[in-house]
Amino acid sequence: MIKLSRISKSFGKNQVLKDITLSVEKGEVVVILGPSGSGKTTLLRCLNYLERPNDGTIAIGDYTVDCKHAGKKDIHQLRQKSAMVFQHYNLFKHKTALENVMEGLVIVQKLPKEEARKRSVEVLEKVGLGAKLDAYPSQLSGGQQQRVGIARALALNPEVILFDEPTSALDPELVGEVLDVIRKIANEGITMIVVTHEMSFAREVSNHVVFMDGGVIVEEGKPNELFGAPKEERTKQFLKRITSDWVYNI
Amino acid sequence: MQLDFSFIGTALLSLFKALPNTLLITAVSVLVGFLIGTAVALIRIYRVPVLHPIASGYVLFVRGTPMLMHLLLIYFGLPMLIDSIAGALGWGFRSTAIPLIGFVYISFSITAGAYMSEVVRAGITAVNRGQLEAAYSIGMTTPQALRRIVMPQALAVSLPNLSNNLIGMLHGSTLAFTVSVVEINAQAQIVAASNWKFLEAYIAAALLFWGMTILIERGTALLERRINNYNRGGVA
Repeated sequence: MIKLSRISKSFGKNQVLKDITLSVEKGEVVVILGPSGSGKTTLLRCLNYLERPNDGTIAIGDYTVDCKHAGKKDIHQLRQKSAMVFQHYNLFKHKTALENVMEGLVIVQKLPKEEARKRSVEVLEKVGLGAKLDAYPSQLSGGQQQRVGIARALALNPEVILFDEPTSALDPELVGEVLDVIRKIANEGITMIVVTHEMSFAREVSNHVVFMDGGVIVEEGKPNELFGAPKEERTKQFLKRITSDWVYNI
Repeated sequence: MQLDFSFIGTALLSLFKALPNTLLITAVSVLVGFLIGTAVALIRIYRVPVLHPIASGYVLFVRGTPMLMHLLLIYFGLPMLIDSIAGALGWGFRSTAIPLIGFVYISFSITAGAYMSEVVRAGITAVNRGQLEAAYSIGMTTPQALRRIVMPQALAVSLPNLSNNLIGMLHGSTLAFTVSVVEINAQAQIVAASNWKFLEAYIAAALLFWGMTILIERGTALLERRINNYNRGGVA
């Protein structure tokens, strides 16, 4: 369904991704973990060409792009296969919640306005914002903005939704409402790739966990395997440091 | 010598005859200048090969020389250029067929374009990069993203500076009198020359410009409030 093979990406002399190969099945919820600077966000952004990989191939659905020779058309096609939810929401500031969701349907997918509107309202209701259709992003809380962001991605009905640390910029109090929405759509069988630091969420929702460090995939597997019995030393170290918090919380 | 107040009123009335020319010069130069400015700003931001150094050179030269000089260069240079090209190609067209105000339009558009390109460029760079990324992420092309997402926000940011430019061009339009186009300033001179009441005529002209400027400022303020509607803030 999604196949990345031998993806490499450098920023100047700094090689951020080294020969990454990854397969994602339809309906899978993939969580990418790793310390900061491990390349997980870059990998996600390569998938919709917000970063341009130097080498490798990306295949989403029936569309394959050879990164070395990708032209404007390829990039445009590839981007229509996915949708992204950003860490800082990136809602279109000058558009209302409804217009934000409609924009892609009308402009990119060329749906008639009425149909786009109907679908957008449906999706916004699904994320619990049926009452905020005409609110501008500046009038919404962080959690509400992020839910509009999710609705915007979801409405496009993409092959995969990419989540780039969707809760990292939120007040702790608001994290829950966003995770609830993500959990809900994960259960609907939508393919998702999620970069996150929410360990318990990752463990509960995902069915495929990828641990990255230093630009390579160190280990991947089922959540139970990876969280319960990590094989690699680096993974063990990372999980220990991350999950030790809760010991003090009790 | 005494100020003749009643003549200020008389002069003001006759100045209205020249108002259309002033408004036309201002409107044409600002509208064309805005188009040039937007094109130049995009060329410079996207570093379009070949055009990029030309655009930078244009802005550098025009902003580095006075507006009056642009007018004189175009007024004396363009006819020579047109006539020599027309002569070489055997066209019957002569530069004398161009109305004088045409040279004003051309030269002031060039002037306005350079200044406005910097305003538009600043506006575009002020729009968060995330907006463009979000547009790409839902599958928009670059032209779609610019037209639908980036430019509306960039213009909202640039509005105060664009209105400054508009006022600048309105006041600058007075220079057109040097190439014998009768706009408000030239008309004031004509009125004054008939009975030597220069100060009164210029006071009338100043009042007229001031009035128009106030209108522009009011208009901008209204527009700004409307466009920036979405920035009202306040978590609902």
